[in-house]
Amino acid sequence: MEQNNKSILEAGKFIEEYSSHMMGCGVHTSRVIRSSKRIGEALGYNVRISVFQKSIILALHDKESGESYNEVIDIPALPISFEHNSALSALSWEAYDKHLTVAELRERYEKIISSPKMNPLFVLLMVGLANASFCRLFGGDWLSMGIVFFSTLAGFYLKQQMTADKINHFITFITSSFVASLCASMSLIFDTTSEIALATSVLFLVPGVPLINGVIDVIEGHILSGFSRLVHAALLIVCIATGLSFTLMLVKNSLL
Amino acid sequence: MIAIDILQDAFFAAIAGIGFGAISDPPLRAFRYIALLAAAGHATRYCLMTFLGVDIATGSLAASLLIGMLSLWAGRRSRCPMTVLYIPALLPMVPGRFAYNMVFSQLMFLQSMDNPAERTMYMDMFFSNTMVTCSVIFMLAVGATLPMFIFPKQAYTITRDNKYRSSWKFFGKR
Repeated sequence: MEQNNKSILEAGKFIEEYSSHMMGCGVHTSRVIRSSKRIGEALGYNVRISVFQKSIILALHDKESGESYNEVIDIPALPISFEHNSALSALSWEAYDKHLTVAELRERYEKIISSPKMNPLFVLLMVGLANASFCRLFGGDWLSMGIVFFSTLAGFYLKQQMTADKINHFITFITSSFVASLCASMSLIFDTTSEIALATSVLFLVPGVPLINGVIDVIEGHILSGFSRLVHAALLIVCIATGLSFTLMLVKNSLL
Repeated sequence: MIAIDILQDAFFAAIAGIGFGAISDPPLRAFRYIALLAAAGHATRYCLMTFLGVDIATGSLAASLLIGMLSLWAGRRSRCPMTVLYIPALLPMVPGRFAYNMVFSQLMFLQSMDNPAERTMYMDMFFSNTMVTCSVIFMLAVGATLPMFIFPKQAYTITRDNKYRSSWKFFGKR
């Protein structure tokens, strides 16, 4: 009996960490629920899980002994990580197919979440290039592309630094959008497609992941968490627009 | 010349897809599929809009449907969930210019309150740009997500080791 008690506690602790980490790093709700239930199933427990935007209610139920485990977990605010998304989803299938124990699962889980992230400088460079090619897609010329590249570097670097300093999300977005567009407004001096440069300079901030996850959640019937994601994404977009309009206020006379 | 235009469009879309993907820390093996998906999607929309005169919302729907379908195939090859591949691939199709005009016209509307002619003009500009931006983003999200609901079994077992997957049927139960 004592042994049993310990194992349901261990499994419960693992599943709560697993599910809250997945929710935190930008996985849509139904995948979190499915993966957690799958791990529970593999370990021999019935898992009931209820997901909100800030917390998860979890109940484990041992099919044989009838023991149960209940917990309410806070969802941490983690940076979005597709790497964790794929690796943790695959882990749930591994648990199911290979009948891993909780200790083995935890070992693999720790390995996944402590794996090194991509080099921030590399990401910075990639984002700069991406936004420059975005400018090209909208019909900008080479000079605008160059200006967009450098203003994206400035804006994204600021965002990285402010995020590392744990400054409020919304303020970070307003500031980086303001700085990126202000740098891009330099293009007004030259004879170039400056409007396109201004328009594309802030697009690296678009919160694509919460937007799409929100739509998926709503369609799958997790309407509460779907709407909370969509509202969050909408707020971030409003912040981008605010930052951009500060710049436009400053330069609007040369735009008309 | 047309071919070069299309290829150029696809190339820049691929770079944009990779770069925007890098923000969200994807697994390294996913990058080439993200590039492929972004290129295919944007080039499709470009062709539809330039040669067939399709409007931007319908073009986006068609392109995002293609991206969604391809992500089902690519996800199985790279063992990544579909969302990991198609979210970065969709980002180059965000209608940035319309979104910019939306902000710009709202600002100008507020600045020209005492000039009725200008005010109406900016109001009109604001509504048409908002309409386009919102419908395109909605179409992008819905189009890419649809394949997930058409083939749920395939989408939900995508990260499973192929060894354990019993069969690969398009409809019906596993």
